[in-house]
Amino acid sequence: MTDRGHRRSRGAGLRALRSPRSLGAALAAFLALGRVSAPQEPEAPLLALRGARVITIARGTLEEGTILVQGGKIVAVGASAEIEPPAGATVRDMRGRVIMPGIVDTHSHVGISPRPDVEAHADGNEATDPIQSGLRALDAIWPGDPGIRMAVAGGVTTANIMPGSANVMGGQTAYVKLRGKTIEEMLIHKEGVQGGMKMANGENPKRSHGPRGRAPATRMKVAALQRSIFIKAQDYVRAWETYERAVGEGKTGLQRPDRNLDLEPVVEILKGQRTVHFHTHRADDILTALRLADEFGFKIVLQHVSEGHLVAEEIARRNAPCSIIVTESPGGKLEAVQLRMDNAAALERAGVKVAFHSDDNVVNSRFLLREAALAVRAGMSEQGALRALTLHAAEMMDLADRIGSIEPGKDADLVVLSGPPFSVRTQVLETYIDGEQVFDRARPADRRFATGGFDVGERYPTLEGAP
Amino acid sequence: MIGPASRRWVLAGALALSAAPVWPQRLVVEGDVVHTMGPAGTLRPGVVLIDEGRIIEVGPVARVRVPRDWERLAAPVVTPGLIDAHSVVGLAGQYNVPADQDEDEPTDPNQADLRAIDGFNPAEPLLDYLLRFGVTVIQSGPGRMNPIGGQAGVFKTSGRTVEEMTLRFPSAVVFTLGEAPKAAYRPKDKPPATRMATAALIRRALAEARAYDEKRREAGEPAEEARKPPDRDLKKEALAAVVRGDVPALFTAHREDDILTALRIGREFGLKLLLDAATEGYLVRDEILNAGVPVIVHPTMQRLAGPETLNTTMENAALLAEVGIPIAIQSGFESYVPKTRVVTLEAAVAMANGLGPDRALAAITIDAARILGVDDRVGSLEPGKDGDVALFDGDPFEFTSHVQAVVMNGRVVARPEF
Repeated sequence: MTDRGHRRSRGAGLRALRSPRSLGAALAAFLALGRVSAPQEPEAPLLALRGARVITIARGTLEEGTILVQGGKIVAVGASAEIEPPAGATVRDMRGRVIMPGIVDTHSHVGISPRPDVEAHADGNEATDPIQSGLRALDAIWPGDPGIRMAVAGGVTTANIMPGSANVMGGQTAYVKLRGKTIEEMLIHKEGVQGGMKMANGENPKRSHGPRGRAPATRMKVAALQRSIFIKAQDYVRAWETYERAVGEGKTGLQRPDRNLDLEPVVEILKGQRTVHFHTHRADDILTALRLADEFGFKIVLQHVSEGHLVAEEIARRNAPCSIIVTESPGGKLEAVQLRMDNAAALERAGVKVAFHSDDNVVNSRFLLREAALAVRAGMSEQGALRALTLHAAEMMDLADRIGSIEPGKDADLVVLSGPPFSVRTQVLETYIDGEQVFDRARPADRRFATGGFDVGERYPTLEGAP
Repeated sequence: MIGPASRRWVLAGALALSAAPVWPQRLVVEGDVVHTMGPAGTLRPGVVLIDEGRIIEVGPVARVRVPRDWERLAAPVVTPGLIDAHSVVGLAGQYNVPADQDEDEPTDPNQADLRAIDGFNPAEPLLDYLLRFGVTVIQSGPGRMNPIGGQAGVFKTSGRTVEEMTLRFPSAVVFTLGEAPKAAYRPKDKPPATRMATAALIRRALAEARAYDEKRREAGEPAEEARKPPDRDLKKEALAAVVRGDVPALFTAHREDDILTALRIGREFGLKLLLDAATEGYLVRDEILNAGVPVIVHPTMQRLAGPETLNTTMENAALLAEVGIPIAIQSGFESYVPKTRVVTLEAAVAMANGLGPDRALAAITIDAARILGVDDRVGSLEPGKDGDVALFDGDPFEFTSHVQAVVMNGRVVARPEF
């Protein structure tokens, strides 16, 4: 298919809706599910992506589907035979394409560990003290990192950008859409709690601090440091409660507790407002993370979970979701020697909720689909792998009401593929975030973020007959 | 060259007990599709007969008489054992602790006398891991830290001793330009701290090796005191073989100017040059082509790390091959997680980015064998070559396909789970 350009619908060949202006009502009429939210701005331009195989995730796969997008939201999705784009809609012929929800990366370092990797760009790990709860990833994310555009070229639309794993508590993560010139535009939550909290156990915190003659040097100390910060936060909560109760009782001359920026985000964790994203590899480290989560009642997403296949039952029993990485080979450090391609399959079999992450630049974001394909190779179901890339990931960031599936009312974050998601031959052709096209492989400048070579500009040679 | 790996009798004791000789395995390998990568082309369906560890016959199923009592393997797709043209597996172990890292000797920028065979660990689990993806041959050697790293070899990925695993040694002396040597020595306040010093150091060493070689050859016979040969110097000896053109000089270079530096040094000393990585090779295709130098292309999914890899493109292999430059593909070196890449997957991504299935398969079989100088033994399914075969349940390049079995020297050495 060569016609990938925008094409205005002339309406003549289309069954026009009787009352195209009252779009919400019209859609409700033919959508059995009837959960279509009326577009916020009825006059906003309407985009119809027509004829693609649509992998909705939540509502099955449509062999020939149509998606209507307006005001940044999906307003309708269904079989093309049942949905007729209203007159005035921009209709894109997507026959032969596959459309899936934007990929959600639950663990990325794009923007915070930008390209090229030089000392000047090293902003992921503040390895000067093992507890860095007061740090915010959002204060170090560079929206100009070419890695962000590469991620978008790979179909990633949302990411949890995290500090690194050098510290036992590494800092506050940022849930972002991969578009915008400023971090404010990127952030999904414009105020309040804007992400999770990065924690880590195992080798990395030991290696980052022990050799410098400070704690932690052992796994025992890693856990002890983590427990102590939560206990401090509990004390902090009590101090404020005591103060506020006294004020409420009309007492005067009270010493107001000082605001503590390191403890406030930990209090948010204790209150269930902030999720802990816990970097952990070895089976016993995984259980240590769960032990802490039980003790302090915090909401946890296990990150990496390389030996998850060894304790899948224990993870399943606690309903702990796992954001995992699938790499070409094991090794590189002792706790990753048992990292297996069938980890996803083992966790899926045990009933654990699984998502995939890039840990970009451990795996470049462009290869998330390939990562999932390796999990399928090793026995994960294709449906499970697709869900892991999208809806499960969204759920792990409490964003499933907005992203992760192609459903009316959700953000129009979409990936247009040239073929089946797990074929190595498949290319990402277009990426949409909030209904805006943010990547188009047909544009040479965009294409160079997909293939690589973005920095050489016009010197990039044209490959004869290139896909 | 060190000992032949094939034509081994298994179990001398068994020979004594049995009336008939016990061969390693007599094997029939059938494929719905057999990519021989040799004169027999692609056979649909095809059959390969292996006896005494070597291929004895290859042809269409209809034309080959298949012995009934031989062990039989069959698969939808059959290829030669795959070749990873540059790796450090065997020297760099999976644990990534000092105890199992033997690829980089950080004590001197000229390590020409170091030999991969003296550090190659046949028991390294990552060798077995690569085997599960159909990789039966790797070129492995010293890392990229030193401007002159030492002597690499071409090895089978399964065996008990390095001697029985070696196909060719030395296959190359490895040189590195660009960021890595600077990064290793600048913090020690020792040369090379710049690219100029890296080039000067290499040129000086090659010039000295040439002088040494000439003096050794001119040495009088009978020995006169005045024409006494210089004392043996292992570094110079290794580099003398390079300046004579007996051993290829493998130059790792990413940035375009570093690639041109490699070509410049190669021209100056008349080296038999192999370019390695060549990340920005696509920007200097004509220069590489005119120099007649093959390229062992970086892993297609190579990380964008320092500035010299910023311009990595997955189309590099295709862009180089397109103008006629002979290419192979490599897994490269990984310093963290994962500890190695898998050349099967790297070639797959190159395939999908313009290289196409035929050239991609050639880049990890026959073309790689030719570039490494081991095409008399491996790289294609032809009578006389080693019985190294990979069996797939589908397209070898799809990430969701599986290797069903791997045969080396006529023996099944892997039946991967996935």
